[in-house]
Amino acid sequence: MAKRKKSDKKKRPIAVSVIAVAIVVLFLIRLVQFFTPLLSENVFTSGITGPFFTGWRLTGISTTLLSSASYLILSVAGIVTLIGFLHLRRWSWVLLMAWTGVSLLISLVDYFYSHANYVVMASNIIIAFALNITDVQRMFGVRRANGSSL
Amino acid sequence: MAPVSDRSTVPASASDIELLRKYEPVVCYTKGEQFYPTDVEHYVSESSLWEHHLDGHDELLVRQGELTLQKLTEFHQAEFGSVRYLRFIENLNLAETAKVLADQTLLRQKLGNSFHTGIGRLARGGILPRLVDGLFSLSFLLRGKVSAATAAAAELDYNAIFEEDPKYTYYGHVSRQNGWTIVQYWFFYSFNSWRSGFHGVNDHESDWEMITIYLFEQDGQLIPEWAAFASHDFKGDDLRRRWDDDQELQKENESHPIVFAGAGSHSSYFRRGEYQAVVNMPLPDWFLGLIRTWNKLWTDTLGQPAIDPFHIPFVDFARGDGLCIGPDSLQEWSPVLVDESTPWVSRYWGLWGLFARDPISGENAPAGPMYNRDGSPRGTWYDPLGFAGLDKIPPPPQALQMLEANCDKLSARQEELKKLIPQKAYDLQEMGTRLNGMEGDPHLAKLYLALEKEINVLSAEVRNLRRESLENTAILQSLLQRMEWMKSGIKDNPRAHIHHITLPDDPTQVLRFEHAAETWAAVSLSILLFAIAALIFFTPRYAWTGLAITLILFVVAESFLRGAFVQTVGRLTLILAMVATVILFIHFWKWIILAALLTMGVLLMANRLRELTG
Repeated sequence: MAKRKKSDKKKRPIAVSVIAVAIVVLFLIRLVQFFTPLLSENVFTSGITGPFFTGWRLTGISTTLLSSASYLILSVAGIVTLIGFLHLRRWSWVLLMAWTGVSLLISLVDYFYSHANYVVMASNIIIAFALNITDVQRMFGVRRANGSSL
Repeated sequence: MAPVSDRSTVPASASDIELLRKYEPVVCYTKGEQFYPTDVEHYVSESSLWEHHLDGHDELLVRQGELTLQKLTEFHQAEFGSVRYLRFIENLNLAETAKVLADQTLLRQKLGNSFHTGIGRLARGGILPRLVDGLFSLSFLLRGKVSAATAAAAELDYNAIFEEDPKYTYYGHVSRQNGWTIVQYWFFYSFNSWRSGFHGVNDHESDWEMITIYLFEQDGQLIPEWAAFASHDFKGDDLRRRWDDDQELQKENESHPIVFAGAGSHSSYFRRGEYQAVVNMPLPDWFLGLIRTWNKLWTDTLGQPAIDPFHIPFVDFARGDGLCIGPDSLQEWSPVLVDESTPWVSRYWGLWGLFARDPISGENAPAGPMYNRDGSPRGTWYDPLGFAGLDKIPPPPQALQMLEANCDKLSARQEELKKLIPQKAYDLQEMGTRLNGMEGDPHLAKLYLALEKEINVLSAEVRNLRRESLENTAILQSLLQRMEWMKSGIKDNPRAHIHHITLPDDPTQVLRFEHAAETWAAVSLSILLFAIAALIFFTPRYAWTGLAITLILFVVAESFLRGAFVQTVGRLTLILAMVATVILFIHFWKWIILAALLTMGVLLMANRLRELTG
């Protein structure tokens, strides 16, 4: 068992390890982003108070819940992807790329309309470029040996 | 591949008409084609002759019913910049328009000659080309164009002419240049219905298409060596195929090349199939430069396929499943021999159909076989060799002679070098010895320097001669090898001259969720415009972000239907990562440069220390 692990480690390129670390960092940040608005709205102590809508508009609590939920989904998706990623599964590459894309989009929207989280942005950039490396794509079966896309 | 001796030959003494008939092509059309090669006489008699003047007014020179081929070539004075043109279909009023459109439907039902698109052109390209295509379609609001009613009336009139005199005509032109005998087959069509009939780029009254066969003479016989098919005003080596390339140049009875004509466009193809014809937008140079720089970064650094969204996909359907005209087909040709002495060829330089005032000319009728639209001589007529890139190629018998002459010249030079190099090398050594002898004598310093200069010059000369000798040996070996092949009848790769081979779309290619993809392709652009309108109206503050997100969602949805989800997601994420990188650099450029310098410093130090410690 120990021997198999060793040989797996040998095959994995450094970019994969870098991506794994970046996912963990992002997971932790997203987790903080999930808890922060809920804590500021005292959801854990007072529960959900007040309506979700006033007329056709969302109230403050529903906006908080929505943004927290999106961060929770992102962090959970990140962990699921990480597991598949460490097993070099093709679906995990696709999911991670999609997840990084969505995360980057949110970061850019944040940048233009509120406050930017540059650590998240930088982590996503590293993941996106690392996932694009030909050897990494080949390892996950996204690219053929001759370099063409599958 | 058939050797030269097996080819279908014709005596060199054969008349031009015999030559034409010997190699006349078989042209196969797509089911649904509305216009076939016809004779110019009937067409002209049904047309009127006009002059478009610089001040914008059009003058009628000869009215419909009175025009003949002779009257067409009569002199009419006009100012520089005016455009002379024929008009096959006169202006139609509302009632006439309705009638011809109804009659066209009835005619098509009667003929049972309907066309089915298959995978639509819009579904063959991505959403960005479709966006550009939308702009192209809207451009017809500003450009002059041929109306649908004109196309319908032309179809009715052509069929009426054909019923009166059912024949298929080609105009043959035989010329001789640089040892080649060149046989051209010109086809005249009353109308190009590519846009109105087959969702193509343009419609115009009249259409001239051409194919050429190149023969050489050997032992009193003319032997075919190349065939070139004209296609959408392209020219050069890519247009020609060698006679023995049976896969690329299909032939009936070894003598008659088979041409697959594009539906409506009448463009000629070597293989049956559906061809993606791409129309590039006329963009400014600086913008094209930006695209090139982007593509360099995108392809070289990031390993992605090049992107060019500024082209519009059109399909040229050359299926060959309709009528075939030519030897051993149901329909035969009526040949007519023409040359510079044929008055309507040389003395009518105007357009052969409606001048639609389209500034980019796509909807204006073409000029005749000898002229371009602007009245300048047409290259395909006066330089048929250059048109297919054959001006640099001698006919095979001359090629052997030229090769032998080349070998002789090189061998003679080698003999010369064999004597010259030792002689110069000896001189060099002699001068070197003299130079050595002068060393240590200060009073000879000036002479020493002068001799040293001479030695350097001679040394360079000897070096160049030795290199020339070596290069000549290599060239001579290649030439001799080639000569041996030619003498023994071995030919080189018949497609070696082709830089870009035009291939039809893969017939087995099927889109995932084909119907959904087709429907999406048809409606996506409109939905996108509705979404943009909604964004501007409901959330003006977030309009730009909303637009970017909407576009991304559209591209992802599109990629899913096209089975390219993985690649598309990867590319979109990369683009977003590049935008984010620029933002980070703008905010933290000092830190980024600092980090880069520190990293380089550490790496360099580690490297040097490793060297130091062995």
